[in-house]
Amino acid sequence: MNTADFLFEKSADQDTALITGKGRFTYEDLRGACVQIAGELIKHGIHPGDRVGILGQNSLFWVASYLATLKLYAIAVPFATTLTPDEFNANFRFANCRLLCMDRKFLQRLNPFIPSDTALIFEDRLDWNGEKDWPSPIEPMDDHSDAALMFTSGTTARPRAVRITHQNIQANTKSIIEYLDLTSKDRIMAILPFYYCFGTSLLHTHLRVGGSIVISNTFTYPETVLDMMEATECSGFAGVPSTYQTLLRNSTFPIRKMKCLRKVQQAGGKLQEILIKELVDAVPNGEVFVMYGQTEATARLSYLPPALLETKLGSIGKGIPGVTLKVMGETGEEVAPGEVGEIVAWGDNISPGYLDDPEATAKKFIGGALHTTDLATVDEDSFIYVVDRKDDFIKSYGFRVSSQQIEACIVELPEVVTAAVIGEPDLVSGEAIKAFVVLKNGISLKSTDIIAHCTQRLARHMIPKEVIFIDHLPLNSNGKVMKTELRKMTVGGTNETRNLTKI
Amino acid sequence: MEDFRETIRSYIAESILFSGKGFPYSDDVSFLENGIIDSMNIMEIVMFAEEKFGIQIRDEEIIPDNLDSVNRLAEFIVRKKEAELVKKQI
Repeated sequence: MNTADFLFEKSADQDTALITGKGRFTYEDLRGACVQIAGELIKHGIHPGDRVGILGQNSLFWVASYLATLKLYAIAVPFATTLTPDEFNANFRFANCRLLCMDRKFLQRLNPFIPSDTALIFEDRLDWNGEKDWPSPIEPMDDHSDAALMFTSGTTARPRAVRITHQNIQANTKSIIEYLDLTSKDRIMAILPFYYCFGTSLLHTHLRVGGSIVISNTFTYPETVLDMMEATECSGFAGVPSTYQTLLRNSTFPIRKMKCLRKVQQAGGKLQEILIKELVDAVPNGEVFVMYGQTEATARLSYLPPALLETKLGSIGKGIPGVTLKVMGETGEEVAPGEVGEIVAWGDNISPGYLDDPEATAKKFIGGALHTTDLATVDEDSFIYVVDRKDDFIKSYGFRVSSQQIEACIVELPEVVTAAVIGEPDLVSGEAIKAFVVLKNGISLKSTDIIAHCTQRLARHMIPKEVIFIDHLPLNSNGKVMKTELRKMTVGGTNETRNLTKI
Repeated sequence: MEDFRETIRSYIAESILFSGKGFPYSDDVSFLENGIIDSMNIMEIVMFAEEKFGIQIRDEEIIPDNLDSVNRLAEFIVRKKEAELVKKQI
């Protein structure tokens, strides 16, 4: 069925759908906004299969633009709001959108890069006249047709967009609802941007069950988000590792011990085990779901049942309902416990491929299976443990060293908010280990403190040669650490210097 | 307090906006709404305020009321410095 219809199918008109800084919107309000935007899209000549760009912060307008696009069987193309003008230019030209729904505040910076024949709809256009009926007729398309194009950060310079079909969204949404056991009573605080697949999954799942989504764009000031969560009595929250590093080490979250929180989701990378434990302590009435996925899989691939967090700490669990996950060795066979291989996935949530990139598609999507490029091992009970991304391994003194293991060790220090470790060519070791460390506000440590801590816990070939303290790790639009940026950085002064000079 | 404001403007212009042309907004403009502050550089700004003005900022004080414009930040610094003076006298 049409994904917009799928998402609206189970909700009650007068129930709350969205809460934003501008107020509370019922499902009736939301549908009305969607109907209005759909009318605008049709006026601008949007037909099934046309691409509609969306550029804005999470808001009623964003959600309405997205759902209206889906309803018309057009293709939604979300753009990150943090793109530089050059990046936006490259992505926008690549996606070739007929129309762009955007927040007016981005116009000044990006106008030079928007072709003059691209129609624009701004958020101030939202003005529901009470019309409840969708425009008609709408020519239906197959469930396997594209619903959205989601840009993903690859290691290459050129834009890469994942094609997500109507079936992909509906399959993944049903799976996630099942293992999270979401109902119409669930209310999630969404700070993750909807242009990121994890953020979109929060929207999809909570709309489908008729629950509600609280939107905040002020996570820069974490206390404001925490206050809003308490005021709106959110039952759920979702974040990537940097979210929880901030909340657990740079905010009052651990001491608030929010009683209303029942379901806390963590995905988007590995959160160090000590922080997972601190997170569990911070939500006394809640369950922590450690999860794993990729944009190429719509969003989610695996989850760890919260009850198993103690015995299987560090694992990403097993495939979500409807998804088969296997760790495959180089021979094409599943690995034995303890052996390292690549995570391969099968399911209706797997994308048909990348837009206009048959070569990359052929490498990643083989025979209907998604080759994730994430290396992992399994234990005796077939629980999966991510070891590292293929490119994150460091070769030090002939040993293949996991940067994540060193990072986890450094983060054990309570003075440390986060750390990222890279390898640099070195004549003696092959690759010398360099650690970038972010300390808690007001604390100072010496690099020798960090190295001493590692020396007590890690093998010799895993000890950082150099420790650099920085104010923050460079993150991409999805909140992931950009190790390529760290590799480019040099430091002015001693290891105690806090400011980083970028080249 | 005008000295504080000028110090803040210069810092943001040079170290946050990397602008050689000075701080381009008025003192009332919201840092958050204009993309001047984000989750990555907020701690830089906090540390700048602590180091430059000799104050200690607590996690729960990292809120828009205290930090989100040149004026708010300057006034916050004044309040903090006065509070520390009072503490020293007790």
